[in-house]
Amino acid sequence: MTKRLSGRHRLALFFAAVGILLVAAGFASRAAASGEPVPALQGKPTDDYCLSCHSQAGMTKTFRNGETLGLTIDKALFQESVHEQNGIACVDCHTGITEYPHPELGALNTRQVSMEFYPSCRTCHAEQYEATLDSVHQKELAGGNARAAVCTDCHNPHTQTRMTDPDTGDLLITARLHIPQTCARCHSAIYDTYKESVHGKALTELGNLDVPTCIDCHGVHNIQDPTSAEFRNNTPLLCAQCHANDTLMRAYGLSTDILDTYVSDFHGTTVTLFEQTSPDQPTNKPVCTDCHGVHEIRRVDDPQAGIAIKQNLLQKCQRCHPDVTAESFTDAWMSHYVASPQHNPLVYYVNLFYRIFIPSVIGGMLIFVLSDFIRRTLEARKGSRK
Amino acid sequence: MARKSTETARPRSVLRFTLAQRIAHLLLVLSFTVLGITGLAQKFPLNGFSVFFIRLAGGIDNARAIHHFAATVLMLVAIYHLLDVGYKIFVLHARMTMLPSFQDVKDAWTAFRYNLGLAESRPQMGRYTFEEKAEYWALVWGTVIMAITGFMMWNPLATTRLVPGEFIPAAKAAHGGEAVLAVLAIIVWHMYGVHLRHFNRSMWTGRLTEEEMLHEHPLELADVKSGLARRPVPATTLRQRQMTYYPVAAVLAAAMLFAVYSFISGEQTAITTIPPQAARVTVFAPQTPTSLPTIPPTLTPQPPAAAPEGTQSSGSSPTWETDIAPIFAAKCLACHGALASGGLNLSTFAAAMQGGKDGPVIVPNDAAGSMLFVVQSAGGHLGQLSPQELALVEQWINAGAPER
Repeated sequence: MTKRLSGRHRLALFFAAVGILLVAAGFASRAAASGEPVPALQGKPTDDYCLSCHSQAGMTKTFRNGETLGLTIDKALFQESVHEQNGIACVDCHTGITEYPHPELGALNTRQVSMEFYPSCRTCHAEQYEATLDSVHQKELAGGNARAAVCTDCHNPHTQTRMTDPDTGDLLITARLHIPQTCARCHSAIYDTYKESVHGKALTELGNLDVPTCIDCHGVHNIQDPTSAEFRNNTPLLCAQCHANDTLMRAYGLSTDILDTYVSDFHGTTVTLFEQTSPDQPTNKPVCTDCHGVHEIRRVDDPQAGIAIKQNLLQKCQRCHPDVTAESFTDAWMSHYVASPQHNPLVYYVNLFYRIFIPSVIGGMLIFVLSDFIRRTLEARKGSRK
Repeated sequence: MARKSTETARPRSVLRFTLAQRIAHLLLVLSFTVLGITGLAQKFPLNGFSVFFIRLAGGIDNARAIHHFAATVLMLVAIYHLLDVGYKIFVLHARMTMLPSFQDVKDAWTAFRYNLGLAESRPQMGRYTFEEKAEYWALVWGTVIMAITGFMMWNPLATTRLVPGEFIPAAKAAHGGEAVLAVLAIIVWHMYGVHLRHFNRSMWTGRLTEEEMLHEHPLELADVKSGLARRPVPATTLRQRQMTYYPVAAVLAAAMLFAVYSFISGEQTAITTIPPQAARVTVFAPQTPTSLPTIPPTLTPQPPAAAPEGTQSSGSSPTWETDIAPIFAAKCLACHGALASGGLNLSTFAAAMQGGKDGPVIVPNDAAGSMLFVVQSAGGHLGQLSPQELALVEQWINAGAPER
């Protein structure tokens, strides 16, 4: 490793030396020196013109802070990229460059290079660019955190292949499969957790496209702060987008009653009403993720962490109810079951009782009240006629 | 007929409810209404009216606090009522006019038959008609149910130490069912019987005119006139009974108040805030090396696309280098490349032979026993090989899966 590094430094020094020489000698003499015919420069430089240098291995620029920026473009990958396929030329983005030698880079480090260039994405991708302006990444960036993601951190402009179907606009399968890896570039700890979750495992190991990737919950370009009260309060509806979808859930034998049963429970009722009246305030009542986890969501019958197992569920209860010790407390939560003779029979029969009792009592009252009302109306009419 | 009463300056009237009873009733009305509104809004959270009332109450937490306060008021009214009834029974030896009897059933039946034109006249009733008794005892029943189930929901930790956890949602179901029943009964029975049929003001003024009494409580009017309704107790007897009743009542009152106090303050059920999820994960954990839009400077130049030297014709048996690698590159590497989906990486010969997380997927000389071939043969794989490609892979594996 150290050997390679020192080799790289030697290489860098060599190219730096060559670069200085070339600048000194000027463009024409460089062409002569390399012995290759340089494509004629007519109007704006063509990609072939740029790649005649930039496809050569080992081209670098070293900044004063010691960082080295590779300047080599993988020609094969570049030719496969959606930009090259659609005739977007190098200089469409690298607008400052019209000829060789190039003007000196204003950037002082590699990050600044990205910062300098990513706004040019807006020229063609205005919609996506505007969306990012409303994102948590942009807020971080505005707050001075230069590590926050910009366009090029997720979409390598030199190699990015087409992500959506040109006709339908739907995300292509391969693009969808690779989303978690893209986010993992910065959020690798979360990715490692996600990979082990019921969703992540299905995607990364089985190529299952039904499961959510990062963007299904977080959005794409206008990614919102997931730690906000607003995001948390909206969690039940977010999960319900898939989990209340009958066609999607049928394949896995999962219940679609989860939202209804949650809302009719004490916790869900509270969160639902809370979300209506004060969506941006935090509530101490649990949402889906407080019991099921966020990125680490497991099957509920997972022997280690599954919350269908009472002991595991008890731990979840104790997060908010620290005084709970009795395991029977977990049965106060109906585990998303609709009460039936099999599940929560007591609740079922109480409901059944009132379903019969209320109409009987109120119906009886109505019959009497109506008979009384009619009789008295008739009497009053008879009385007034007299 | 009603006009007649205005001729005399003040119609003769009978005291029906004492001031204390009227105040208790007022508190009952207020607490019941507040309980009904804040409670039903929670029972039907998706309803627009519910959201309106919850907003009016200042959010669900406030609404719940108001609900609890009203419940406390109702419980205090109930305690007052119990002590008051005790005083009337044990000290005044008053007649227990509210007790239901078989006569009430007969009265109800007669009244109904009269309404249908099957009976000659309405039943003659005493201090409390069957309608009033039905409502009173429904209220008693309802309050007991609501108090018990309310206690369970208010104190779930204590409850689940004594009874199975399922009692909590069952209590909630009963609480909600009873609430619907009570509110509907008030709207249908009470509204009609006391406000619509004839606006009965006695709960506010305390009095009914003798004429009203004649219509609604003829037997009691007779008792009042004959002095049977309120038999005076001699002062000494009264004093004696009070001396016995007051200490007992005081102890009972203390016990009941303590019960209410424990009810409302016994348990802190939950923490007040839930820690944010973000505290539990490392948000920014960049992979190294950090990827940049250009090729990292250390990357060795790509080897020439294909080694042309000694190109084997596909006439001979297939090898990894010439036949299999290009197929995998085209069909498999999107997932089983750098991503190594399922732990399987097919980008190099060594990695491919190593297999995935469940072991080797290529068993030389045994295509049928190779998971790669089995999975592909089943069809429908995301990167499905064509029959020709699959045949070549099979041939290659059965030939010992040679690298070159």
